[in-house]
Amino acid sequence: MARDRSNPADYAGPLGRLITAVVVLLLIAVFLLWRIDSPRVERFRAQVIDRVVPRFDWAMAPITGTVNLIRDFRSYQRIAEQNAELRRELRKMQAWKEAAVQLEQENARLLDLNNVRLDPRLTVISGVVLADSGSPFRQSVLLNVGARDGLIDGWATMDGIGLVGRISGVARNTARVILLTDASSRIPATIQPSGQRAIIAGDNSANPPIDFLENPDLVRAGDRIFSSGDGDVFPAGLLIGEVVKDPGGRLRVRLAADYERLEFLRVLRHYGNAPVDDSAQIIAPLGPRPLRQNGGGAN
Amino acid sequence: MQNVGTLQLTFMRSRFVLLALSILFFHLLPLETAPRAWAPPDLLMCFAFAWSVRRPEYVPALLLGAVFLLADLMLQRPPGLWAALMVIACQRLKVRAHRLRTATFMAEMTRVAALVAAVGLLNHLALSLFLVETTRFGLSMMQIFLTILVYPAVVLVTHSLLRVQKIAPGDLDGPGVRP
Repeated sequence: MARDRSNPADYAGPLGRLITAVVVLLLIAVFLLWRIDSPRVERFRAQVIDRVVPRFDWAMAPITGTVNLIRDFRSYQRIAEQNAELRRELRKMQAWKEAAVQLEQENARLLDLNNVRLDPRLTVISGVVLADSGSPFRQSVLLNVGARDGLIDGWATMDGIGLVGRISGVARNTARVILLTDASSRIPATIQPSGQRAIIAGDNSANPPIDFLENPDLVRAGDRIFSSGDGDVFPAGLLIGEVVKDPGGRLRVRLAADYERLEFLRVLRHYGNAPVDDSAQIIAPLGPRPLRQNGGGAN
Repeated sequence: MQNVGTLQLTFMRSRFVLLALSILFFHLLPLETAPRAWAPPDLLMCFAFAWSVRRPEYVPALLLGAVFLLADLMLQRPPGLWAALMVIACQRLKVRAHRLRTATFMAEMTRVAALVAAVGLLNHLALSLFLVETTRFGLSMMQIFLTILVYPAVVLVTHSLLRVQKIAPGDLDGPGVRP
């Protein structure tokens, strides 16, 4: 009978049990190692992904393209109403354009008067989105630029309009961007025009909540949110989005970046941030030695 | 005879790896970058269970461990935990495979549903015990529920398309021969 044939199998015998036990113990050891020394295992993960995902790329690009094409095609069905809507918006925009041109001229004059130069180090590297996190529990994307292109952990990433996330995990050819919507994302921000400081804390929803707001009464729906540059993590003044109130009365961010379709992202080169490589230094006060020498020694 | 069996075994094992890789591939396609309010079913889990019930020898513990560890790494999960739970669950299923072989599909379904729920809940419990940041519990519950729902469809695909079937009494000299 079937029963007799399956009993001496390698999965139920003592050898099979031994192998299973060893495999399970190894996997649990990996998990514990990750819990204890997360950066090292995350670096290993980045390297594995760096090996595997670019190999899928030849197949991924056409399939993603086809699906997007079908989605675009579906949106053609609503083309008439969209057209009417666009006309209405265009009329509004023409008024704004006039205002913008005048402001631009004025701005150029003023810049010229002041001899202002923009920071040349604040330049960008553009990357293509290779893959997303693949899981509904994490919000991140993989870019096709990495350490080879000089990327460093912690740099800000934007689409054309607004902040998208920060670089976290750089391998040779790829880098991972933790999106603002991820549950582990925390970005210091300023809310204009009131100038209130806050933290944009992702919670795996499309509109991340605003945390640690000093005086919520000063903030209204529609106020604009910029990165504040606190803690030297991000350059200041990057547009994040605008304030909205959810039905529960909690303040959230409507993100300026188009999260529905992230294709090309810009990584801002930002050399101003202090690298966090020595955790003891953060807690203990600095000794008599100057900071620069200390940093050189640690490297 | 022996050779044919070994060949068949390697072939089917590599087929499982290919299947897992293609599921991972579709997970990673950058189509959904905005957060979703729902979680899709875990197809890899379904296939692992369906294969474990039908042909335990096609999915040995070592292979399962490697495939699920790779999935953990690729899908940004805490590496190792989900894989360990899956290996334990699959082995439990394999020990009962010979009893499920003659049983009805309902018996298998109940067994698998219990295991899916157990793996999902234990994963959530372990993550909160180790103080790993977890997202909403509802999302995991939805994934467990949907995974159970699609299991019959996965079994159908496994049975008819992939030709992974339970050993019938007459199959002794067929593909079921072990090296």
